Amino acid sequence: MSEPMHPDDFQPLDAALARALPPPALPAGFQVRLQAALTRDASDADGRAASRAHAQREQRQRLAELDADYLSLRRRTLGTLIGGAFAAGAAVAVAFPWLQASFGTNAIYVLASLGALVGLGIGTASWIGRVRLPNLLGRL
Amino acid sequence: MQPAPADAAAQDRDIVALLQSGALEPAFQLTLARYQDKVYRLCCAVLRDPSAAEDAAQESLVRIWKAIGSYDGRASLSTWIYTITRNRCLSAIERRRELASLSDEAVAAEAEAQADSYGVTDAEPQEGSALLREMVDLLPERYRRTLTLFYYEDRSVSEVASMLGMPEGTVKTNLSRARAALTEQLRRRGLADPRHWLETSP
Repeated sequence: MSEPMHPDDFQPLDAALARALPPPALPAGFQVRLQAALTRDASDADGRAASRAHAQREQRQRLAELDADYLSLRRRTLGTLIGGAFAAGAAVAVAFPWLQASFGTNAIYVLASLGALVGLGIGTASWIGRVRLPNLLGRL
Repeated sequence: MQPAPADAAAQDRDIVALLQSGALEPAFQLTLARYQDKVYRLCCAVLRDPSAAEDAAQESLVRIWKAIGSYDGRASLSTWIYTITRNRCLSAIERRRELASLSDEAVAAEAEAQADSYGVTDAEPQEGSALLREMVDLLPERYRRTLTLFYYEDRSVSEVASMLGMPEGTVKTNLSRARAALTEQLRRRGLADPRHWLETSP
């Protein structure tokens, strides 16, 4: 069993430890290497900032292009619908007298059937494009 | 030589004042002048290996420079700096562990050689001091770290507490236990009267 330590017992040990554990000085060249690391980090940060700015500019351009394309697509779609409606009206105005002469009172049903067939054809074609079904019609 | 606590506090206040006025570069230069040695000593005490300590100190100082603009004064400047440094040291220890887990005997031998090189200076090592350093290295890590920093920091308990992020009472307890363990080791090695041995060591 060891005797309890008296604080005075530590004094020589304290002095010896102070001699044995001197504070380490900064290594030679520490400052130079630190400045180099700071400069490298700053240039990396500049490079990253420049890349980020470039990417953001590109993203803004792409979004603007997409917006413009979307607007023009909507305009074209609207134009096509209006044009199609006028063309259909003109075709009916031209064809209806002939249909009446040929089919009599059933001409209105023939006209409706023709309209339904054209509508179904356009709808089917658009759905084939949208769900990427094999374009069988195109192969025919 | 450590600056007096009042001087140190005044220097910290100057740095914080510069930061608040937006003068980041001068604030960082003052921070470097006041803390770079301490940061390096903390890294040495935690990592033992001088080259790893230098890397960790450099990383810490770069990190401090990058973050100095966002220092908000909630913690004291020294606490903030030492926390960053300790985190860098922990990352270095983690990297070392990962390396060790992947490594073979050559890497282990290299790590051992690096650990052995710690504390070796150009001067011929003193026999008593070398033996004492060897015994300090055998202490449990928390005692070794506290004891080493205590002597690096000119026996300032408050500075060691701040650097290691622990209460002063814990530092004192660790120091007391470390010294008791060292004395016990001296006795076990047949140096029956440690006082005599230590006083006569060169």
